[in-house]
Amino acid sequence: MRLRTIVALIVTVATVAAAITALPAGGATEKKKVLKLGWAQDVQTLNPFVAQDEENFRVWALDWDLLVNFSPDDLTPTPGIAKSWKVSPDKKSVTFKLIDAKWSDGVPITSADVKYSLDVLGTNGLIFSGYTSNVTKIDTPDAHTVVIHTSQPDARIVGGLFIYIIPKHIYGKESVKTLTGNYQPKLPMVGSGPFIVTDFEHGRILKMDRNPRWRGEKPKYDEIQFIKYGNTDAVIRALKLGEIDAMWEVEPTGYNQLEHASGITPVRSSSPSFTELSFNLCNKTNCPDAKFNPGVQDRTVRQAVAYAVDRNRLNAISSRGTSFVGYGLLPPYYKAFYSKPADDYPLDVDKANKLLDDAGYKRGGDGVRSKGDVKLSFDLFVRSESPSDIQAAKLIAEDSKKIGVDFKVQVVSVDKLTEITTQKKNGKMAPDFDTFVWGWGGDPYDPSALLKLVTTSEIGGSSDSFYSNPEYDQLFKEQTAEFDPAKRKEIVQRMIALTQRDLPYLVLTYDPVLEAYRTDRLSNVSLECPKPNGDAFCQQVSYDPLLTIGPGGGDSGGGSSAGIFIAIAAVLIAVLTIVLIRRRRGGGPREPLELET
Amino acid sequence: VSPRWLAGKVGAALLTFAFVLVFNFFLFRVMGDPTTQLARLPRATPQQIEKLRHNYGLDKPLVGQFLDYASDTLHGDLGISQRTRRPVSTEIKEALPWTLLLVGTGTVLATLLGSWMGVIAATRRGKPADDGLLGFSLFTYAAPEYWLGILLILVFAVWIPILPAGQQMTPGEDFSSWFAQAADVAEHLILPGIAMTLTLLGQYFLIMRASMVDVLTEDFITVKRAIGQPWDRVVRRHAVPNALLPLVTLSAIQFGLVVGGSITIETIFSWPGLGELSFNAINDKDFPVLEGTFLIYSAGVILANLAADCLYFFLDPRVQAT
Repeated sequence: MRLRTIVALIVTVATVAAAITALPAGGATEKKKVLKLGWAQDVQTLNPFVAQDEENFRVWALDWDLLVNFSPDDLTPTPGIAKSWKVSPDKKSVTFKLIDAKWSDGVPITSADVKYSLDVLGTNGLIFSGYTSNVTKIDTPDAHTVVIHTSQPDARIVGGLFIYIIPKHIYGKESVKTLTGNYQPKLPMVGSGPFIVTDFEHGRILKMDRNPRWRGEKPKYDEIQFIKYGNTDAVIRALKLGEIDAMWEVEPTGYNQLEHASGITPVRSSSPSFTELSFNLCNKTNCPDAKFNPGVQDRTVRQAVAYAVDRNRLNAISSRGTSFVGYGLLPPYYKAFYSKPADDYPLDVDKANKLLDDAGYKRGGDGVRSKGDVKLSFDLFVRSESPSDIQAAKLIAEDSKKIGVDFKVQVVSVDKLTEITTQKKNGKMAPDFDTFVWGWGGDPYDPSALLKLVTTSEIGGSSDSFYSNPEYDQLFKEQTAEFDPAKRKEIVQRMIALTQRDLPYLVLTYDPVLEAYRTDRLSNVSLECPKPNGDAFCQQVSYDPLLTIGPGGGDSGGGSSAGIFIAIAAVLIAVLTIVLIRRRRGGGPREPLELET
Repeated sequence: VSPRWLAGKVGAALLTFAFVLVFNFFLFRVMGDPTTQLARLPRATPQQIEKLRHNYGLDKPLVGQFLDYASDTLHGDLGISQRTRRPVSTEIKEALPWTLLLVGTGTVLATLLGSWMGVIAATRRGKPADDGLLGFSLFTYAAPEYWLGILLILVFAVWIPILPAGQQMTPGEDFSSWFAQAADVAEHLILPGIAMTLTLLGQYFLIMRASMVDVLTEDFITVKRAIGQPWDRVVRRHAVPNALLPLVTLSAIQFGLVVGGSITIETIFSWPGLGELSFNAINDKDFPVLEGTFLIYSAGVILANLAADCLYFFLDPRVQAT
């Protein structure tokens, strides 16, 4: 075959293929109502025993219920698998009455499922353990009653057991070793929520169909698709082009872009996580071999830094104004327990300078203050993977210079930062840092996970400020045992006041939930979790919004015109090629014959 | 083919492979331990992290881990991904065809187009056509591939939205037939395919042009023309086949290299190939997947080199003589 025959053949095939693409695909059957969501991260595995990512919760929260769900109004306890509950007089046991409902495969949901989930998933699930640490016994007197006994009163039993109730008749058949190993849940993933996973292609798409035995009102959508894109830019583009209806994980840079896009509604709401400047407060008893500058252990210095750092500017620059300025350990997301603390450290450089003057710190020749041997010059570690944290650290250093406190910003890997904050010597903690910038996230309703971070018992665990205050520890115990939300809030507020005075953490910003949806595609969107300006989809927390959100007027999909354009392009190329071949065939020798001498 | 010559080449390839196996393992261990990130899970207890390390086999001494790794790999077991808990071989099996499709299309198109352009430029040396082609090739050769990719997306998916900007097929679509799916894949292949082709085009062009210029100044060409053969025929029949030699080797070696080198293009176009797989594995510190993909990359380069050597053996009689 001659080259030009091959070329002609290729062109013909390409033209035919393009023409076929242009044809409308398939017969016009009743169109399924599909909600298309785009994301750049994929679910790694659906197995609840080993998964560790937020993406999983986004899917699980639609597939399964908790024993007690989170109310989309304010995240307070609302019926889930349990329709009602009663706390015993000694507060050491709670009796739950279960709903009368079935799993998506038709098997009734019973107390055995609850006991199995709390016992087995609550002990072996990597991100589900720790919640049942006070549970001594779980009784199931009948198929619809569960009694949870605890060693001490534990308010987390109602509203703080973030352990999904999974079907025992599916998972109970497998050994724990298999479940914590390479087990992959079979599809459809049997559940109790309004949607269940029916199809999962790694790196491409995850589909959830309506649960045929869903007990509540019928969702407006037949199917939800989580479509995986290569990066967030691609997701934003897909949203602008209308390939998807909404995106659930927007990054600050992308959010600024979407704010100005027409036909797209960006949503910014609070979340249970924060970014903080952490100080090394470990004392000689807990950490005899720790290395740090004694200056950070002077409360006055920390308070002065808190007055000197402009958190408004820090938020505007490091997170491009998408985060919220922080006022203490507990974000306003914890609507039931939050109020703004009295000590909120507004920007006041003069006050900061006065605090340090009064404490006897004198400025040296280089502008850095010192008192005796103690020079206010600190290491400030920050993770290399977070550009916004690095920016925040630089701003802290810049602001603190004005009050004669010197921060040496050191960008290190996550592993390095983990190492210097968790290392041990002779069986005791030996953290090797002055300060660092990092963040934490908590649970949707119960504040214990965040409040616990600065308790003495967490030293050696998740405490990275090594703060130790018996009064705070006592209050932590009290709030854990308090079932009355109003009284609990009062205790929590006292704890926040202590941490605002002592500042183991200077909370810089509260991280946001950033999302966006196409205004023409979705209807009935309201901002919940918590109301009135929360997350439009209640990601990871509640399936309620997806029962009411419905398709809007705009048509989903499209792309039929693309085929036509391709066909035209292909025809053009074909014509061009033919012309070229013709010209060459007709052309004679172009180069004059030159003979070398 | 002399058996000794072949045995020597295969032996060298195997030796390289063995070195890669050892190097791979220790290279990724430098990155740290995937379980360290878990320390930031507020409720992950030290006991749990220990259990996880045990599950991953990370609590064994490094030499023990290496022996496990080497023996498993030699048995064809690439291990289990720490993130998805699926066999690494499955992950690679799913990704490899997509990479081969993209890289294959790119290499074939770049070779064809590049050599064609090379011939045109060489036969019109010093003329505007040559200058134009040279400028164009140097530009695409020098342009970063991610920039070309983004530009293509901007023009053909955003400004004139006629082509899909990413993925290998329309997400969530149920295809009525095999053919409809193939057409959809072809449509999605256009932009990344063009980006791949443009990135590779330059070097093929430059090599072909240089090689053609060399051949065209040789005596036998002058003789052919002197005996009155038409110019077109001289170029096609006598100059091009001789000039193709260096191109074949480049093409073969390049194919092995670009399997790994398409990471940026795959990431930009959300193309679910090996590049994206390794990119994600790096982010997740998923050692088994990284070791698996790098093994494939290395095997690709080694095999391509071996193939190029063998090709040369057949194409160039001078190699056979030695």
